[in-house]
Amino acid sequence: MADSPQEIQKQVKKILLIGAILIFFTVVTVALSYVELPSHSLNIIVGMILATIKAALVALVFMHLNHEAKLVYKVLAFTGAFVTALFLLFYFSNIDPLVFKDF
Amino acid sequence: MDIPYTVTARPDTGLYNAKVGIWLFLASEVMLFGGLFSSYIFLRVGADYPWPVHELNVTLGFVNTLVLIGSSVTVLLAWANLKLRNIAKYKMYMIITVLCAGAFMVNKSFEYKAKFQHYSVTLTDGTILTGHLPHGYEIEFGDVTTLNLTVAGKHSAVDADPVDYVLPYIKGEAPKFKTESGEEIVLDKASFTKLRAEAHEKAVAKAKADGLKETPNWNIKLTAASPITFVLPPSKLLAKPVAGATAIAFRDGTTVEGKMINDKMTLEVDGIDLRATPDKEKSLAFNEHYLGEPWKKAFIDQREHAIAEFNEKYGDGKGGTTRDPLKSATHQKHMFFVPIHSATPEVHEHAKAEGEHKAEAHAPAEHGDAHGHHPEVHLERQHVHFFSNFTPKLNSYYAIYFTLTGLHGLHVVAGALVLGYFVVFNGRMLREDPERLANRVEVGGLFWHFVDLVWIFLFPLLYLL
Amino acid sequence: MSAAAHTHDHAHDHAHDHHEPGFIAKYIFSTDHKTIGIQYAISGLLFLLFGFFLMLLMRWSIAYPGQPIPGFQIINSIPGVSWVFNEMIGRWAPGGVVNGELYNMLGAMHGTIMVFLGIVPLGFAGFVNFVMPLQIGTIDMAFPRLNMWSYWLFFVSGVGMLASFFLGTGSVQTGWTMYSPLASTTSLAVTNIWMHGHTWWLLSMVFNISASLLGSVNVITTIINLRAKGLTWMRMPFFCWAMFIVAFLLLLAFPPLEVAALLQLSDRVFGSSFFLPTGLMEGGQHLDISGGGSPLLYQHLFWFLAHPEVYVLILPAFAILAEVIPANTRRPLWGYKAMVYAGLTLGFLSFLVWAHHMYLTGMGTMMSTYFQITTVLISVPSVILLTCLMISLWGGSIRFTPQMLFASAFLPMFGIGGLTGLPLAFTFIDLALHDTYYVIGHFHYVVAPGTIFGLFAGVYHWYPKATGRIMNDFLGKLHFWPSLVGMNLIFAPMFIQGMGGFHRRWYDGGKYFEQTSSVSNWFTELTSGVFGLFGMNVPNNLLGLNVLITFGAIILMLGQVPFILNFWLSIKGGKKVKNDNPWDCTTLEWATPTPPPHGNFTFDIVAVRGPYEYSVPGVNQDFFPQWESSPGKAAEPSAVPAAPAAAHHH
Repeated sequence: MADSPQEIQKQVKKILLIGAILIFFTVVTVALSYVELPSHSLNIIVGMILATIKAALVALVFMHLNHEAKLVYKVLAFTGAFVTALFLLFYFSNIDPLVFKDF
Repeated sequence: MDIPYTVTARPDTGLYNAKVGIWLFLASEVMLFGGLFSSYIFLRVGADYPWPVHELNVTLGFVNTLVLIGSSVTVLLAWANLKLRNIAKYKMYMIITVLCAGAFMVNKSFEYKAKFQHYSVTLTDGTILTGHLPHGYEIEFGDVTTLNLTVAGKHSAVDADPVDYVLPYIKGEAPKFKTESGEEIVLDKASFTKLRAEAHEKAVAKAKADGLKETPNWNIKLTAASPITFVLPPSKLLAKPVAGATAIAFRDGTTVEGKMINDKMTLEVDGIDLRATPDKEKSLAFNEHYLGEPWKKAFIDQREHAIAEFNEKYGDGKGGTTRDPLKSATHQKHMFFVPIHSATPEVHEHAKAEGEHKAEAHAPAEHGDAHGHHPEVHLERQHVHFFSNFTPKLNSYYAIYFTLTGLHGLHVVAGALVLGYFVVFNGRMLREDPERLANRVEVGGLFWHFVDLVWIFLFPLLYLL
Repeated sequence: MSAAAHTHDHAHDHAHDHHEPGFIAKYIFSTDHKTIGIQYAISGLLFLLFGFFLMLLMRWSIAYPGQPIPGFQIINSIPGVSWVFNEMIGRWAPGGVVNGELYNMLGAMHGTIMVFLGIVPLGFAGFVNFVMPLQIGTIDMAFPRLNMWSYWLFFVSGVGMLASFFLGTGSVQTGWTMYSPLASTTSLAVTNIWMHGHTWWLLSMVFNISASLLGSVNVITTIINLRAKGLTWMRMPFFCWAMFIVAFLLLLAFPPLEVAALLQLSDRVFGSSFFLPTGLMEGGQHLDISGGGSPLLYQHLFWFLAHPEVYVLILPAFAILAEVIPANTRRPLWGYKAMVYAGLTLGFLSFLVWAHHMYLTGMGTMMSTYFQITTVLISVPSVILLTCLMISLWGGSIRFTPQMLFASAFLPMFGIGGLTGLPLAFTFIDLALHDTYYVIGHFHYVVAPGTIFGLFAGVYHWYPKATGRIMNDFLGKLHFWPSLVGMNLIFAPMFIQGMGGFHRRWYDGGKYFEQTSSVSNWFTELTSGVFGLFGMNVPNNLLGLNVLITFGAIILMLGQVPFILNFWLSIKGGKKVKNDNPWDCTTLEWATPTPPPHGNFTFDIVAVRGPYEYSVPGVNQDFFPQWESSPGKAAEPSAVPAAPAAAHHH
């Protein structure tokens, strides 16, 4: 943790900058959602990419994940893996590529 | 005898206890919201109706996003100022953060309230009418002369309690009742308790006489001095009444026989959704008793207008379009969702005013409009397939919307309480051990950023996409 | 000043800084990890007893359908007791006969209570709270107040579950799994949905999950940050490792169940359709719902928790055995590192196998294939754990104390449970055996003679540390043998019944099954013959085994009497321990005074060696405790180099 007063002053500037970037991205997300891309899935993908960038900024800068103790990364890595499993498998149980069509 | 590493970090892990704790807690929260978001995906992929897009109040959602981002910044500034020992600024930023949480919840409550008052009625042909129920929805069931109360033999969840479940719905003054033994009574708590005790006695005696193992249910018949009419919302009944029902059963098991006087639903229509109607021009909504020809014409006008607009916007110059109109959710909505802003249809003169588009990208007549400017229809019960206000019951989209935002709202409240607690009650720690308080604020802040982070995904998923 | 807690002057404070808290602060709303551990353990034991009682009623109905429960009239004539019994259970059993409705309640609550209110609180929360902080050499958990909250949230959830029996609807009836759509739509015809057994179950689960969340955060933080000086990860006893893994499972697997509970609550109370497909009908009528949901969603969310939950149930038993076996064989634990890595692998894989409970749902061939593979994979680390424990017996000079008897019985019992699970991993076998008694037999072998025997071993092992007295050896053996016989009489015949097609939810034990299939084999013949010797007429077919199983349950019940007596009487009447380390163990908890005071250690404890140094060549005693530099002499803190700072830290 950056603890010296100068470091903290520097951080304050960074925080305000990131706050502004987040607001900017929010405006972009809203605007883009009204633009009809070739398919709605594309709208969703673009929107989610923007949201992920915003979330990453919050996590990395606001939550100090850009310089955190190793252990926190380990915990989050496992959590990330399990959450991904949760996401993917829900999706696959609706769309099953192994259907025997030719029977 | 203090627990080690509450203030300073343990050298080999580089973390103090609370920080380990909060990250573990957040990991668990990730799984919680992960479960909810994957439920969202699951429901959306499997949805058998057009998934609502831009249907919520985007402005409110947008403002709330700004509020949350702002509070995320202020909680960090509060922490930084505490680290620098600028106590006054620390307090100010903490208070702003908590106020932001308050503003967020106030906005949310406006949004929720509008949903609770707005209704959607699915007709039997798949047409959906949205609007307001000016008097709520109540059925009128009359010509009732006898109440059949059932006293359960054993303690049961459905047990006669006419004073709470039946009497309040009698139109006008409740008449006097005659019991089976000919006694005339006013039905109230005292007289019913007495009746119930007698019935129970008889049931026990019968069980004894017949050698039954179980005390049977016992019926009490009460004859009204004059015929009764009930006016009640169908939710007070055990099962929804079918059209033209001759008997209804109340939630406490009381049944009455009589005649359905009126089960029509009066709806102030503010939108017609024809996306799921197979033959759109023959929709029940355009039935002469309901919205009739003028609105049908308005719909046809709007559809043509939408098609023209779509072709102009996405025309490829060879008579086709670069977007598949069937796959464009927005276009489908522009064609088949007719927002209604006035009691009579406006005249769409799209033919004359070509190029002067009045594209109707309105959200379905934003909830909570002033009443009285909408056509009123009286829907026959047999035409109503399903109705609900805009609550979890309406469809899986609103169900997941309320669950996600409700749970997120609870997190906002919890975070505000915790941060508020630090600023109000931790004065002593601020004086004596500010470093420890800074740790607390940091940990509380981490939670607060997480709440913000969840909203960053919620906002586009529910409001925009 | 807390950073200095390990320095000498601070340790000095321990003795003087001690003011006696009042009764309530000391025993009820205590923040001391040992008191909370004991609270959890005793609550867990009581819930296990209650869950067992529910099971006895079910077993009676299965063996003797339509016949009154023995003693029903007697209970009904005891003043006070009769009221409680009647309001809770009796009113559903006219004339003392268990009917289908009551059987469903008993079944649902037996599962719920055993899993969420019995084994987890005792096996995980009880033992981890009492033993773990002692074993890692710290004064308390990292967040003592959260720890107290955890217990009281659990308490509320327990009370909510029990109280649901007294509601007008009775308790929940849809099985411990609460599968929707049945569980979303059943018995909604009530005057007040909030006073419904099902609603209380769901809300109680939310409390239970919050409790386990607080507990697991606490456990992990404590293990990560409060280990004594010198107690490196690989010097940590396997007990702590296993509990560490369990805590992670609870932390990450429970939230999806919370989601499932909340969504089901929404379905029932607010009329949503999360788990209800479009066009669902009940009794020939369309339900008043929008549809658009899926029952599959519920099962995914539920089993995402409930499979890791299986490892939450079994790992505490492994944890306890890893302490009990070396202490009673006087040998080091065989393959400590292999066990640690196997445990971690097991924990990781347990998140990726959940849908093997769902082969029958039609979720898709790819999903089934994937889950068959992961399920077979997860048997590898399980086998490593069991094998290491078994090899640990080799060449030891075994002391057959009661804890060792239970520990050694655990090994084959868990083995049977595990191996009978293997066939179920394959869809083609599971299709036939799903929901039969085969499955019941399989998982009960894992959790009943498996986990519960492990927990009993733990109770006998650490009882002297908690009370200063040793539980009676004879009563302990009187507890063990009937339990072992009873457990096997109950669960072994279930495999035979299950393969014969017995369904798990027959409240009458398949009375009408006989008409279509009267399977008999050497086992049913033996059963019938043996009962015949006692003049009892037991049919020579699969139905006859119902009677055998019920007798097994009665033997098991009788077997618990010595334990209950032993547990309570030994507090005052047990043999006093000879010193603070009555079993001559090596781990840090035995360095504390007996019972340990608030703050635990009287000197600055450091660990200077691995956890299982038994029979070390060249040492003049057969154990070499972790905290001793030479036998009988505690190591100085200066003997351990200071831990290096984390590399990434600035």
